[in-house]
Amino acid sequence: MIGGRLLQALPVILLATFMVFALLKLVPGDIAVTLAGDNATDARITEIRKIYGLDRPFLVQYGAWLGQVAQGDLSQSLLTGEKVATSIGRAFPNTLLIVAIALVLALLTGIPMGLIAAVKPNGWVDKAVSLVASLGVAIPGFWLAMILVAEISLKLNWLPATGAKSFSPSPVEAIRHALLPGIAIAAYGMAEVARQLRGSLLEVLSSQYVRTLHAKGLSMTRILWLHGLKNVSVNLFTIISLLVNRMLAATVVIEAVFAIPGMGSLIVRGALQRDFPIVQGVVFAMVIVVIAVNLIADLLCAAVDPRIEQ
Amino acid sequence: MTSTTRREAMALISVALAGTALGSSAFAQGTPKRGGILRISAPANPSSLDPATGGAGSDHAFLFTMYDTLTEWDFETLKPKPGLAESWSFTDPTTLVLNIRSGVTFHDGTPLDAEAVKFNLERNKSDPKSNIKADLASMASAEVTGPMQVTLKLNTPDAALPGILSDRAGMMVSPTALKASSAGNVTRTPVGAGAYAFVSWADGEKIVVKRNEKYWKPNRPYPDGIELSIIPELTTGSRSVTAGQNDLMYQLPPRQKAIMDRVPSVKVANGPTLYVFQIFLNWAKPPFDNVKVRQAFNFAIDRETFVKAALAGLAEPAYMNLPKAHWAYDKSVAGLYPYNPDKAKQLLAEAGFKDGLSIDLLGYPDQDSVQRQEILIEQFRKAGMNVKFSNAPIAEASAAFFGAEKRGSGLLAAWTGRPDPSLTYSLMFTKDAYYNGGRAPVPAELEAAIKESRASEDIEMRRKAFATVQRLVMENAFVAPLAFQFELVAMNKKVQGYKPNLLGKPKYDDVWLES
Repeated sequence: MIGGRLLQALPVILLATFMVFALLKLVPGDIAVTLAGDNATDARITEIRKIYGLDRPFLVQYGAWLGQVAQGDLSQSLLTGEKVATSIGRAFPNTLLIVAIALVLALLTGIPMGLIAAVKPNGWVDKAVSLVASLGVAIPGFWLAMILVAEISLKLNWLPATGAKSFSPSPVEAIRHALLPGIAIAAYGMAEVARQLRGSLLEVLSSQYVRTLHAKGLSMTRILWLHGLKNVSVNLFTIISLLVNRMLAATVVIEAVFAIPGMGSLIVRGALQRDFPIVQGVVFAMVIVVIAVNLIADLLCAAVDPRIEQ
Repeated sequence: MTSTTRREAMALISVALAGTALGSSAFAQGTPKRGGILRISAPANPSSLDPATGGAGSDHAFLFTMYDTLTEWDFETLKPKPGLAESWSFTDPTTLVLNIRSGVTFHDGTPLDAEAVKFNLERNKSDPKSNIKADLASMASAEVTGPMQVTLKLNTPDAALPGILSDRAGMMVSPTALKASSAGNVTRTPVGAGAYAFVSWADGEKIVVKRNEKYWKPNRPYPDGIELSIIPELTTGSRSVTAGQNDLMYQLPPRQKAIMDRVPSVKVANGPTLYVFQIFLNWAKPPFDNVKVRQAFNFAIDRETFVKAALAGLAEPAYMNLPKAHWAYDKSVAGLYPYNPDKAKQLLAEAGFKDGLSIDLLGYPDQDSVQRQEILIEQFRKAGMNVKFSNAPIAEASAAFFGAEKRGSGLLAAWTGRPDPSLTYSLMFTKDAYYNGGRAPVPAELEAAIKESRASEDIEMRRKAFATVQRLVMENAFVAPLAFQFELVAMNKKVQGYKPNLLGKPKYDDVWLES
């Protein structure tokens, strides 16, 4: 299963990087102009196209990039010369930490909410959960982020307002910096987890075998935790894998609000300056991450539900 | 030109006073102190830390910390003054002799002598990767005429050269470092002779520099180092100063000033700059191929209101490409286009657009740009012009307007100043200039006047030549200047000695930190 999935990843990577490359080349704007700087002349721009090989046909440029990647080299920024692998190596942990915190928070809040809502559907608790969940989906992450900064950082001075710290010297500082952006992204995840969990739990709880369990005299708590959760865990893993992908995408905006030098900031900078090796590198890395997340989710599903493997 | 500058003299005096009991008590509050790390929020990742291979105007805020220039400029007027060259003179109109300050070394220990200067100037002029060849176009050769003397032979008289040597072209890079690098540039490993030496650069994240212990200016720099965090979101950058995570932020948006004024720990410095918001025009095609339409366009703009509404009053209305404080400003040109919508309508009618006219402009999509556009659209509407903006990111819009595509009749953007105004004019208002979007011809007397502005070293002669240049540009209405942006710097109250400058690119020469 794993080998086959990895093989499937290859065409996805090719297609994704090719399409992004094509998009970057199709949209107007030209890195040669940026490279030529404030005192640009027509002659200088032509010269720069030649120096950097930007005058070659589009497919040749893509091929050249692909050739380098095949040799394990993501090449370097056309503008600053920094190795793309170095940029990604520095940016990825920052993004990963935010997403990890967001995911943990979303699960810690979303799962209990879904559970208690499902126990007494249409009761006042369920309605309250439903309201909170609707808010979580409806509130834009960047707005929540700014409110959090204004209240928690600037007024109360509890957490830093901007930036990221590396995990290695001080994990506590790293988490303190990632907490607010994590919360900002987690709100949506919490809502999603609560709503999905409630839905699938209700389905399980109304099934015939649960009625049998009730008849056997099992307590509600036992039914919920032992039989209910186990049966919805397949759904839960799928939700989580979709959520991680969504949260990774959300970092593009959240990182800008918190000035976090992560994957989102990196790809925005690359795209705005038409620095295509950076954009290509980030897309490449992200495709791999997404495929890996989906693979792990599938493996977990197969582990709890043996029917899936067959 | 060998006399010590006023600033150096002041520094010497204060040091002498600080040594006495009287001085230390009298100057207790304002005596610069060594130590501390200056933490800065910078809005853009540099394009390169090699002055010759980079290109963005925003790079200077980093480059100036690491590189000293052959000449420097006066903060208020931008007149060139001695830097690494302690004096210079034109022995004849096409010979410029530079006397290099002795005893200066690069951060790697390489002596900064005539050979090093010659090496740099030749590299800047002819290296294939150099972006500043055009800056040194007038230089035919650089010769070492003494251990500390370089003589530049020019192919045409060029009085602008001393000013140009205060910018990228005059930033001296260690020849040892350049020769040692495989690619022939120091994009990521800068070695200069500036107040601070390079430590590290993480793209899009942070640049760190530390004090150059052997710096030639007495007692400078005061801080132990500078950390520049790159924060492209300007509101996030200002929040980092409010929250105390950074000490200083430049390019504060005008709308943020009122917010910063309410923060007790923060102060805001401001001053005029050469950075001018303007609408570039393409006069190669209709409707701006007609001078009357271009003039009408300029009469239609209420610059005073624009400054108040779009820039929170923190700007100087622009009637040409030089602000009042500049040494070459000409007052008579400033009166050419008072706000006059009726006159605009009349000119449009004379040009054959009695019933008004539609104009397609390009612009940028960020919040501040769009606000500027909305104000202008309304002003143009009152003068019978129906202006429409198509917005795209900077890289796209500017390439579409100035490049081969020739999209739009105009582009609402900005022009960052140049140390010598002749560059500003030659880069925009000569026939083949890239920033002449239509590459359309200009009157012969304008090209001649631009050339004339570089012919004489005499400042009065140059002033006169620039008066002619400015008049011709504005009479022909080749551009619609709007406003000179103020440099707005928000800083923690413990930051002392920061001075805005007319170029609008921050220098931290006298900055020190109160503990």
